[in-house]
Amino acid sequence: MSRFNKEDMQRRLLQRVLSIIIFIVCVHGEVYSKPFPEPYEDDWGMIDWEEESEDIYQLSGFLEMASGVRLSNDPIIGTDKTLSDLRLQVQFDYDLQASQFSFVSDAYFDGVLEQTRINIREATWEARLGFLGAWGNRFDAKVGQQVLTWGTGDNVFLNDLFPKDFQSFFAGREVEYLKSPSLSAKVSAYFDVFNLDVVLTPEFEPDVYINGDYFSFFLPTAATQVALGFDVTPPLRPQSPEYALRLYKSVGKSEYAGYFYSGFHKSPNSITQDYGPTFSSLNVYGASFRTTLGNGIFNAEFAYYDSVDDENGDKPLVPNGQARWLLGYEQEIVGNLEGSLQLHTESILDHQALIQNSLTPKFEPKQHRVWFTQRLRYKGMQQALVLNAFNFYSTTDQDGYLKVSAEYSPVDLWRLSGGLNIFYGKQPFTFWGQFEDASNLFVRFRYFY
Amino acid sequence: MKVYKIAIATTLLALVLNSVVYNADAAITQSVNVDEIVREAEKAAYYSGEDGIADARMLIIDAQGRKQMRQFTILRRDITDNGDQQMMVFFSRPSDVRDTVFRVEKHADLKKDDDRWLYMPALDLVKRISAGGKRTSFVGSHFFYEDVSGRTVSEDNFELIEENKKYYVLKGVPLDKSTVEFDYYSVTIDKKSFLPILINFYKESDDNYRRVEAVEIQDVQGFPTVVRSKVSDLKTGGYTLMEFRNIKYNVGLDDDVFSERSLRNPPRRWLD
Repeated sequence: MSRFNKEDMQRRLLQRVLSIIIFIVCVHGEVYSKPFPEPYEDDWGMIDWEEESEDIYQLSGFLEMASGVRLSNDPIIGTDKTLSDLRLQVQFDYDLQASQFSFVSDAYFDGVLEQTRINIREATWEARLGFLGAWGNRFDAKVGQQVLTWGTGDNVFLNDLFPKDFQSFFAGREVEYLKSPSLSAKVSAYFDVFNLDVVLTPEFEPDVYINGDYFSFFLPTAATQVALGFDVTPPLRPQSPEYALRLYKSVGKSEYAGYFYSGFHKSPNSITQDYGPTFSSLNVYGASFRTTLGNGIFNAEFAYYDSVDDENGDKPLVPNGQARWLLGYEQEIVGNLEGSLQLHTESILDHQALIQNSLTPKFEPKQHRVWFTQRLRYKGMQQALVLNAFNFYSTTDQDGYLKVSAEYSPVDLWRLSGGLNIFYGKQPFTFWGQFEDASNLFVRFRYFY
Repeated sequence: MKVYKIAIATTLLALVLNSVVYNADAAITQSVNVDEIVREAEKAAYYSGEDGIADARMLIIDAQGRKQMRQFTILRRDITDNGDQQMMVFFSRPSDVRDTVFRVEKHADLKKDDDRWLYMPALDLVKRISAGGKRTSFVGSHFFYEDVSGRTVSEDNFELIEENKKYYVLKGVPLDKSTVEFDYYSVTIDKKSFLPILINFYKESDDNYRRVEAVEIQDVQGFPTVVRSKVSDLKTGGYTLMEFRNIKYNVGLDDDVFSERSLRNPPRRWLD
């Protein structure tokens, strides 16, 4: 990447930001030209009531522009663009008597990959199963392409093995894109003693992992940073089902849950005999607890990662099992300012066997990895402005990831957001440290219709 | 993020729904005992009917005249009169908060904070919300959480400062000033309905900076109900209008409606 191109890129980003600002000012001036509120007697009649229409379907969505640039050069990747989306989201709901069809789809031009993409985030039929008889009243079903989430962590996932999109998260897309959809069937059962969710995903859906398309990563076997832009396809990507189960219960102010997952490691961190990346089997057993404590919320979660294909931890091509712990606390610090702290540990099982058999022992993670996360969220200007800072910091790896963002939305029609993703670390091979050159600045403008 | 605004707003509204209703029987009381008036007003404003459903809409107008809207349906159920309550708020507008749901378990005991959850559909996330923020904006409106939920009467000292044929006017002074932004407030209570119809908040030196008013009251199933209310920021000129429609009381909402199940899969039976 030549210096000239970088400047060119920055100039183009600046132009785009300016055009967004000009657009906002125009919209603003046109629609809201009156400097003072009208008498409220007039305002009462101003708002139409949506549900007065008898329509059983609803259509909505947004148009979004998003841009991001790298803060420093990544010599492995030939562009400073980290985000360049022009996106249209269409949301369509159709209500039947006892059930609902929902459809949410994004069509976007990804200027980093120079591809037009369709991302169906939801295409589901959801119902209460009361029509099956009185017993059916205890069951709900949601079938189709859907985003699924459970667990107690804030941006930290232990028992939630549903797909995540780390490329979008790192690039500064809206936080909802951290969760990626899967084609699944979810059945929920509600009993007096406990509630149960069972999710079947007929074909394994991996994370959208960092593969070199947007950001380079450290490849231990090559002992260097790479940006292969690889995509793992069958047969190296399993086509077998995933099963996820949650058993949960609330008692007073406390929420208890137990979890089970059977499927695969969500990113291709195993290697075949031919040195191809692949996904090995994984079972996860876990539990969580959440309650109020003082003026805040306390949560604790545990997960045992059983790396089925490497029971003794001595197979160098398959990741070892892990025990993961999470402790968290969140509360309002003063009016409109919230803070949270989490402590997360990952302990590698059979670490000694891992080091003894590893092809790259000096790049293997330490036996215990400890992270702290800190969040501050401030809401100002009657909540039209929201400032967010979220920091991951590992005391054992001495690396981290700081995500800072500002969102401004003084009207219902649009939202302007901007922020920074900063990765830092002492070593180039640690979890966050490897992404140092991925640090970026982003801006987004979303127009709702 | 709008969702958070909504969370707060929801609670407010839910509570407003209560405040909007009062029990006509309460109006018979003629005592000038201040504690009695306060108790009756609280009862009238927040604990009438066993449960209720209403469609609500807020129009938020900021100091620059910019408008925002929130539309939602509130379901409320009393556990006991003058005691705990359950609430669900289902948002339908604007489009970026559609299908967001807010759940509150309100505890009358001062020592016990309300439990609050927020469901964010884009993430399929049920987030538990910490206590606090009772005097911060409810979903970006000029209503505070506490305007909707009702400020617990034991948090203030009251004295009767005016009485005429139609109204009592009480002055409320907070016992703990560190938890509020006001110095004192005056509340005008309709003698017939015991409904608070005007509240003015003051900072030091009688600086009236904030106002909550009942704009229109209707009889719904025998319960006089505030169907239009307004909160004004007298410093900036910004204000929020709130309106309720399709109000129904004593519809027979059961405990199951107020649950995590309803966050993820709303009880359509009650929302049509």
